[in-house]
This record gives sequence, C-alpha cells and structure tokens, in this order.
Amino acid sequence: MESTPLDTQTTVESDVATRPEEASLPPLEWMQRNLFGGGQGSVGAVARSTSLTVVFTLLGLFAYQQLLNFIFSEETNWNSVRVNLRLLFTQAYPESDYHRIWVSLGLVLVLSGVGLGLMKVGRGISMKKIATWCVGWGVLVVLGVFLRQPSVLVGDDGTPLLADADGVALARDGLGALVYLDGSPAPSQGLSVVRESYGDAISSRSGWLLIGLVLIGIAAAIWFGFGDKRRRSTFLPAIPLSIAGIGALISTTWWYNWGNYTFSTDEETGVSGFNFEPSVKVAETTRNPWTIMFVVLVVAYVLGRRLRGRAFEQHFRGLLILGWFLAPFVTFFAILRGPEFDWAYVAAVDLPLWLAFGIGGAALMWALTKPGIGEVGRVLAVLVLAIAAFTWIAAFFGWFGMLQKVRLSFLLLGLTALLAPNFIGEARQRLTLVYVWTGTITIFHVMATIINTPSSIEVPTEDFAGGFMVSIYVTVFTLLFSFPLGVLLALARTSRLPIFRLLATVYIEAFRGVPLITMLFFFTVFVNLFLPEGMELALLAAVTIAFVLFSAAYLAENVRGGLQAVRRGQYEASDALGLTTVQRTGFIVLPQGLRVSIPPLVGQAIATYKETSLLAIVGVFDFLRMARDIIPNQPEFLGERKPALLFICVIYFVGAYAMSKYSQRLEKNLGVGER
Amino acid sequence: MSINDATVAVTEELATRDDMIICEGVDKWYGDFQALKGVSATIKEREVVVVLGPSGSGKSTWIRCINRLEQHQSGRIIVDGVELTNDTRNIEKIRSEVGMVFQQFNLFPHLTVRDNITLAPIWVRKKPRGEAEALATQLLERVGIPEQADKFPGQLSGGQQQRVAIARALAMEPRVMLFDEPTSALDPEMIKEVLDVMKDLARGGMTMIVVTHEMGFAREVADRIIFMESGEIVETGTPEHFFTSPEEDRTKLFLSQIL
Repeated sequence: MESTPLDTQTTVESDVATRPEEASLPPLEWMQRNLFGGGQGSVGAVARSTSLTVVFTLLGLFAYQQLLNFIFSEETNWNSVRVNLRLLFTQAYPESDYHRIWVSLGLVLVLSGVGLGLMKVGRGISMKKIATWCVGWGVLVVLGVFLRQPSVLVGDDGTPLLADADGVALARDGLGALVYLDGSPAPSQGLSVVRESYGDAISSRSGWLLIGLVLIGIAAAIWFGFGDKRRRSTFLPAIPLSIAGIGALISTTWWYNWGNYTFSTDEETGVSGFNFEPSVKVAETTRNPWTIMFVVLVVAYVLGRRLRGRAFEQHFRGLLILGWFLAPFVTFFAILRGPEFDWAYVAAVDLPLWLAFGIGGAALMWALTKPGIGEVGRVLAVLVLAIAAFTWIAAFFGWFGMLQKVRLSFLLLGLTALLAPNFIGEARQRLTLVYVWTGTITIFHVMATIINTPSSIEVPTEDFAGGFMVSIYVTVFTLLFSFPLGVLLALARTSRLPIFRLLATVYIEAFRGVPLITMLFFFTVFVNLFLPEGMELALLAAVTIAFVLFSAAYLAENVRGGLQAVRRGQYEASDALGLTTVQRTGFIVLPQGLRVSIPPLVGQAIATYKETSLLAIVGVFDFLRMARDIIPNQPEFLGERKPALLFICVIYFVGAYAMSKYSQRLEKNLGVGER
Repeated sequence: MSINDATVAVTEELATRDDMIICEGVDKWYGDFQALKGVSATIKEREVVVVLGPSGSGKSTWIRCINRLEQHQSGRIIVDGVELTNDTRNIEKIRSEVGMVFQQFNLFPHLTVRDNITLAPIWVRKKPRGEAEALATQLLERVGIPEQADKFPGQLSGGQQQRVAIARALAMEPRVMLFDEPTSALDPEMIKEVLDVMKDLARGGMTMIVVTHEMGFAREVADRIIFMESGEIVETGTPEHFFTSPEEDRTKLFLSQIL
C-alpha cells in the first residue's frame, strides 16, 4: 500500500485523538488496591493482604532502622574511610606520579563522554518517574529522621556513657573501671548506654527533615502542577541529568573536606608508614583534577553529540570501539610502567623483531591469499605452524635458546596463516588479512616489550598497584582475554573435529569443577615451580591468568548456549551459499549466538568483578584487604572495620549496578528476544 | 498434434541439451529408515522439473542431497560434470553453482536485505563490494522489492522474505536453482508473488528443480514432473501426460486426493 506522507500524518493524529486516556490511580486508591486488598470484595482477601503488607513493612523498617543506627552512630568512625580514600582506591601509589592516574582517567572519560554523546537516546525520564523518585526518597528520609534511635552520648574519652539499671549515670575512674560519680563501684549487670532524648534527637536532625520534606514537596508540585497527560509525556534527558549529578558530586570537593591519609617515608628516619595528615584534606589536593575531569567529560559529551548524525559517524564509532579496546593497555602502561626503556635493547632486539615479523608476515599473508594459490597455500600455512611447534619442542628439550617472544610470534603467524584461504581474492580482501596480521603482531610486540621493561615507579609494597584500582584492572584484563578464549572454547566444543571437542570439554569441565579460590592459590604457589629457571610470574600476573582461565570456562558455556540457539536453517543457508566454515562462523553463527548470550555474559562479567575481592585472600592489597586488614591496623583506627566494609559494599554495588543497567540497554538496542 | 506427439517433440529437444544433474541409484538412510531408494534421474540444462509427492516421500531429501545438505550413502550425484564426493573442493564448487531456496526462507536476521544478498558474492565469489551491491539492487528490482534493501528480514512480510531469499540465491549466479517447498510457509495471498518470480526465472532459462504442492505452477511451468513416493521415483512425464493420463496407480491415487 502506497500512502502519501500527508495521509500518514493524519492517521497518526487521529490515532492519538481516539486513544482512550489511561488515568493513573490517585496515590491513596493505589495503596488501597495494591497493599490492602481493596477491590477484591472478600473480607478474607483484605485481611490476608493487609496482614502481609503490615508484617513485611515492619520487617523492612526494622532493617532500615538498624542500618541508619549504624551509619549515623557516634561510635562509627567514618573518618577511617574519609581519610583513607586514597588508600582504598590506589593503595600506596606515589603522590608524585599521581598525574599518570589522572591522565588515564581523563582518557577513559573522553571515551565515555563521546560514547554517551553518540548513544541513541530514548525519550528520557518522564516527570511521573521523577515524582515517584522524589516521593520515594523523601519518604525514606523523613522516615529515617523519626525511625533512627537517638544517638548514644559519648564521653570525653570517646567511649559511650553508661548508666545502671535505674538510669543513674556511671563514669570511668583513672584505671578505666566503671564507678558511680561518688566513687562507689558500679554493678556489673543491667548496664545500658545513655542516649540523648528523643526530642533532642529529632530537633538535631531538622536539616534532614527539611531535605525529605522538600523532596516530597517537589513530588507534590509535579503531581498536582502537571496534568496527568503532561506528567507522562514530559521528559528530561537522562544522560545530561546523570552528568549533572556527577558534577554535583564533584562540586562537594569545593565545600566539604574529605580527609587525607597517605603512605610515605619519613625523610629523617627512613621509616615507611601510614602518615595521618589531618591538616591536608583530600579535597584540597584533588578538587582541581576532579574539576578538570568533569570539564573533560562534558566537552567529550558535547563533541559526541555534535558528531551524531554526521556522515562519518559510523567510522567514528569503529574508532571509539578500538579506543575502548586499547584503553586498558594504554592506561596500564601509563599508570603502572614508567617509561624506563632500555633503548639500546629496544633498538637492537625489539624493533628488528617487530619489523621482521610485521613485514615478513605481511608479505606471507599477501602471498597466501593470491588467487589460484590452491593447495600450496594450505601446505605453506601448515608448514609455518609446524615451525612454531618445532620451536616449542626445541625449547622443551633445550636444543637452542630463543626468545619466548619469537616462539609466540611464530605461533601467531601460523594461526593467522591458516585463515588465509578465506581471504583469497582481490586486493581489498587480501589487505584485510594483512591488516589483521600487522595489528595482531604490533599489539603483541608492544605488550611484550612493556611487560619486559621494569617499572620505574616505586611503591613500598611488592605489588605495584593496590586498592580499587587493582580490582578494576584485574576485572578489565580478565574480561578482555577471557572473552575471546571463551568464544574459541565454545566453538571448539561445538566443532566437528573430535580433538577440539575433547580438549575443550576437558578444559571446561576441569576448570568448572575447581573452586576459584583454589585456582588462585594454585597459580600463586605452584605455577612458579613449573616455570623454566630464571622466569618468574608476578603475583598479580598469576592471579590474572587464573581469573582468565576460570572465567573463560564459564563464558564458554554461556556462549555455547547462545550458539545452540542459532537455528539449523541458518547453517544450511550458509552452506548452500558456499560459505566456508570460518566465514559461516564469523558472519552468521557468532553474531547471532552472541546476541542471545548477552544476558548470561554480562552476568559472568559482574560475577568476575565481584570475585576480584578474593584477591585479598591470596595476598594482593586489593580493595577488600584495605578495608578488612589495613585500615583496622592503623594506629588511629584500631579495630575500625565496619565503616570501610560498608563503604566498599556501596562502591562494588555501584559498579555492578551500572553494568547491569548497561546490559539491559544493550539487549534492547540489539533486539534480543525479538526475531 | 496429439499430446503424445508433443511429449515426444519436447523429449527429443531435451535430448540434445547437456546434462546438468545426473543422479544414479542414490540411496539415503536415516538410521534404519531408508529415505531414498535408488533414485535415478537426469536433469538437462534449462529444464524446469517439478517434484510432486505426498509428504515423507523423500522429495526434499533428494534435492537436499544435490547440494550436500544431506549426505547420500550410495549411488552417484554429478552436478555440471562434477561428482559429489567427500572432497571438500567439489562440495564447495557445487554449492556455489547450485542456489537453494528454503521453505522457512532462512534469511540472516541480523543482516539487512542488501547484506544478505551481497555476503556470498563478496566472500565466496570474491566480487568487489560495489559490483556486488549493484547486482543486489538489480536482483531486488527483478523480484519487485528494490525499496526494501536497507530493511532487516524481520521487517518484511513472508512473501517479501522469500523473494529476498530467491534474490540471495541468484546473486551467486548459479547454474541450477533448487526450491524446497518455497510457498508452503506463506499466507495464501503471498503465494502468487513468489510463484510469479519463479515463473519469470523459468522463462529466463534457469535450470530448476522445484518441490512444491502448487499444481497450477507445475502444470504451467514444468517441462517435466517427477512423482515420488516412499523414497522412489514412481513416474516421470510432461505435465500434460502426468495430469491427464498417469500410468501408475499410486500416481492416480495421489492426484485423486489433491485435485
């Protein structure tokens, strides 16, 4: 059916005009219907519904009260978190090198900002939703003001004041024993802490009360000021709103003094230790960088918005993905490795090797993809693989010395050469393989060089990184390497070749059958015993490898599930068109299979992120270890565990929740579940 | 000229053409069940053969053997002078010569219509992208839906999807086209648009084997009708012969049930 644009428009308009208004229920009626069994007619239903609502509301309120009691208790020393923020996030990273972290963060923010700018935006957040948020948070705050028990009164010595069973006040004598104020000994039983009066407690929280009431007021203004229709059809853009939120958070550094606590070496005594500097506030040292970071984010976002809809947008997206792929390597290099290259060695060994493999490999790929090369190509590819295998065998028997890098390069060369038959054709296709090869070998050689270069950054502990930074790095590198490995394992397990199937199955079952923590210990303790003499695996490298291998086994099963969801007809259609197995897998099966596996894959990513807290147990100074071991052992905060543990819970939650939200968005954009 | 004379004339003319597909005693088992029992047939160049038969008679299995979607266990299949064996080179060659259209379309849902069509020409035929896209546009015009090139298969009707599937197969410039019940999954009002495309193709001189239940199409377009039952070829003949004076009882029974 052909219809003119005008026609379409009128139809749409009349559609809107005739669609019946669905008025949302007034709050009281909503509560009656959903919470107290209203509208069901029977007394039994009302009683059941009401009692369930009451019981579970009371349970929720009790949990909320206990949480508030802990957070706001005078006994909870939040200074232990506040002054240890730097320690929690970057361990003892030297302050003089902090600009490296800022530059890296800036790079990530540029990528994020541009990405957010380019993102397809939905309608945004409706006023109705904002009203719901405001009323929800407002009620929570107001409830909290009245729910929280009055504060415990604390004496000059910092301990809570106590009273006997009759409420008579007690004090501590010079030896710390409890006595009545007249000096007579206190009873040992029936003691209770002295709290401020309820009225004092409420009046001291008037600020909070005001915030709660303002939020409820905003909600009421939206609810009654806007009509029902406008409430549902007025939207605020979500991304600028979130950026504004981040801005508000950063602005706190200008008016709130977050603390400071550093690891430093005393110049005179040469003793390293934690250095409590109450006069220097983190806010003063970080508010300028944070403000710059915010400006960077905003500029990048605006840039992204500008680029949206331009002709070269698609290319730019490709560039962005490449940027995200390289960012972990670049920032890792920037943060953790001082560029202290042995230039003579680089010029004499690294550079020539890279050039030899790069140019020689490129020429080989070009030759192998020549049209009409036929069987000769396959034979040559297998020959290269055989050379690679031979170098490993030679290493095993110690026939001749060779850099590990060279052996790995041969292996990569052989594997890439096996792909060559799929790229036979005109120059464009042949060049694709040449680019793939030069890209692979360049990344590999740069990484190898970085790893082989000792770091110039000195930190007091054995590991060069710690705190939340190390959790993030282990997560990112685990995902980056375990994802391709998992996909390969899944393909191998569904392969027609029995040897691949067998190996993949054995691998997956073996790694899924061992607890992660055991694997971590195994890798930190045993692997070094098996390595050739003179070679040693750093603790962090060992645990990252353990994480990669472990995570890959699980990812493989998730991907396999996705692959099995690809219908048989898709294989048949690909075969009927004459696609090779590699082409069929790359163009048809994987794109469809991975789409289906997004939810479990993100689940696995989140699990990996949370599991990095196991690093604390194998001796890495990670986020959890900071909170559990380091802070409670500082002289100022002896035994102060709970605040920091709650704090890291919140930070872990924020990261996991963000990932989960992003995956929901991804699923929607890729149309998972729709065919 | 009587019907028989016409049949003889057609048969004589066919005899002068080259053999496109030769099947000799093709057997196929699924476990203990024998799906094809010694199927032998020769299809000439530019010939349109319609395969009829009750469901489960082995029609689909047979044409799926011709491009190795199913593997036959004994007998020979020779396509355009190349015999189907376990040699992957032969299989690749035959698959790129033989186009196939499926009952369920089997379009690639994650690719646009244009990419569905150009994928194989670019990666199997090694055509430059520009050339492949020009060909795609041309083929979409031929099947009557040039305006749908940038849509995804899920956004098209069944009839449109099947026409895209035909265009996708044609983009490989095959010498033979196999149709496996191409209209069985379509709503009645969409069947005609697909059959029209197939008729057009037949008039253009394409060698075609069509498994279908569309008797009107068989009568109008087929050069020859092959009737199969229980994995065997029961009867072969021109449409006139087949629909007016079938010889075998099983053929008569089949026709009485469907006409």
